[in-house]
Amino acid sequence: MVLPRLTGALRSFSNVTRQDDYRGDSSDLMTKRSKLREQVLESDLTWKKITQFITGILDKKEHEAIKENLKEILQAAKQIVGTDHGQEAIESGAAYLFRILYDKESIGQIETMAIKQMFGPFPSSSATAVSNATYKIVSRLNQDKLKKLELLFREQRDEGSEFFGKNLTFSLDMYTLEEIEDMPLSRNTETEDITLDF
Amino acid sequence: MPALPLDELQVTQKDADTGRLCTLPALHPERIVSRHFVLYVPPPASCAPSLLEEFLERANFITQDLCWLLGLPHDLFWCQVIFDESLQKCLDSFLSSAPRRYDRPCPLPPSVQKVQNDLHRYVFLTFLRMSTHKESKEHHITPSVFGEILYNHYLFDIPKLLDICVLFGKGNSALLQKMIGNIFQQQPSYYQDLDDSVPTLLQVFSRILEIFGIKQDSESAEPQKLESQKKTTPLDMPEEELQDAVLYICDTSSTLWAFLEIFPAAAQTVQKHDILNKLSSFYELAFSELEAAVMKRKFGDKSTKLDLWRRLSHSKKKLLEICHIIISETCLQPILEHRTENIQPVVEDFLQILTAFLPERRFLCDYDELYPVVEDVNLLQQVSPSLDETRTTYLLHGVQSAWTDTKRSRASTVPP
Repeated sequence: MVLPRLTGALRSFSNVTRQDDYRGDSSDLMTKRSKLREQVLESDLTWKKITQFITGILDKKEHEAIKENLKEILQAAKQIVGTDHGQEAIESGAAYLFRILYDKESIGQIETMAIKQMFGPFPSSSATAVSNATYKIVSRLNQDKLKKLELLFREQRDEGSEFFGKNLTFSLDMYTLEEIEDMPLSRNTETEDITLDF
Repeated sequence: MPALPLDELQVTQKDADTGRLCTLPALHPERIVSRHFVLYVPPPASCAPSLLEEFLERANFITQDLCWLLGLPHDLFWCQVIFDESLQKCLDSFLSSAPRRYDRPCPLPPSVQKVQNDLHRYVFLTFLRMSTHKESKEHHITPSVFGEILYNHYLFDIPKLLDICVLFGKGNSALLQKMIGNIFQQQPSYYQDLDDSVPTLLQVFSRILEIFGIKQDSESAEPQKLESQKKTTPLDMPEEELQDAVLYICDTSSTLWAFLEIFPAAAQTVQKHDILNKLSSFYELAFSELEAAVMKRKFGDKSTKLDLWRRLSHSKKKLLEICHIIISETCLQPILEHRTENIQPVVEDFLQILTAFLPERRFLCDYDELYPVVEDVNLLQQVSPSLDETRTTYLLHGVQSAWTDTKRSRASTVPP
């Protein structure tokens, strides 16, 4: 429900604002989701880069097992992304899934939501398969190698870890209702709490 | 050598179509990233999972996008701010519909509250960066051009400034005072916009009286149409409408107060429209009738009565504080801070304003209780020994008689 606001009246009836008509609806979200998919497709962090990086830092004897895990991720990504947009989209999807799951033991609410935002409704078994395979790969990495992987992701991430005002002290405190004047009892005409039935 | 201001900088970049290097002004629409900022929608009143999920999705999108925006270098940040309309709409949607703490309380699950809090912070940081023309020695914009950019692209406007004050003013007042002060300093046209907004603001108060069916002085002389519908009153109007109208008073008084509290320099402009006279009349007309109705009415939910009473009390206090800020800023401070060479016209304004309050007995008592008139008069007598004693005595007797008329008691302050 839209609450009545002074600034709402000023926006509607004064001539000091740009008159915009906007309302958040689902089409707004759909556009954003497709924009996000575009971003993932255009991301510099490709599936090829991830696979090369992982096989590059692990011993050769582990390559067979790793290849199997990577294949599982790609297959599950196919189920989640769909085949409409071709192999490139599937690989971008796999890279995205690997990136959001590599430091999680299982899929939580946040990850589920992130996957849904990106690809729409998806089979949970496929997400679990990606999660398991990713976990198996990451568990082969020691602390040092894991740090290198994190560094790779951080370099590629477009959400800067440094941003304007990061260290600025910000208060969430907001104006609240003032302490009230006592409600004069003598003027209280509601009588339902008073009983004369002694 | 000092770095050139952003508005004079040129950059060289590859043309997206031809791949050839070309030179562009640093502030150019071609330099923005198509990001598509979504609109903000407030948290749902109910905790239905699907509604919460949609809220979270939106809020997370905006948070991530604003975090990205704030991480951009100075030139790209300003390109995005100026030329990405979806960003402006997103920020405006947050300001206009983000919950105020004095709205009807609706506790959110902690995880949802955290997302809302993060968003609150990122929106503030975005406006902070937008109100700064000198980010560092190297990164700055020519002040006059900065003022033009803000104004011509509607990056700030009067409703936005009011919203910013009410949403962020409590905990960040020092920073906000600098932000708003800088905006008005670099772009004085905002004073004109404020001036143009006051009639609409006053109409809001008239509209509230109209909703309650309370007659205003200007109306009472007009003949009424015979067939005109019977007006509702606070006693018989539907409960939901009464609640909405009280929320409206609460928001209006809180928002205007927050703005004047952060930026008292606006007082001169709003008083040009004789706002004090209008607010005192509104106070007198509205509150006694509303309070009586709240006391008399029966409500479906017992807590509604107390809630409405709280909101009315809060609104009364805010209106009194608004009046005091305006009086202080337009009459008292200029004298005390020696901002004016000739104090006589200012003293005259003070006496006229206070004398105009005399018919509004209830308002006058409440104002005098919070801000004793006698203290201000004493203060003026000290700085202006030639103050007309007959007028001050008349004024103070008027205040005393208002206390008597409203059958309230207080220690006598009238000179013998």
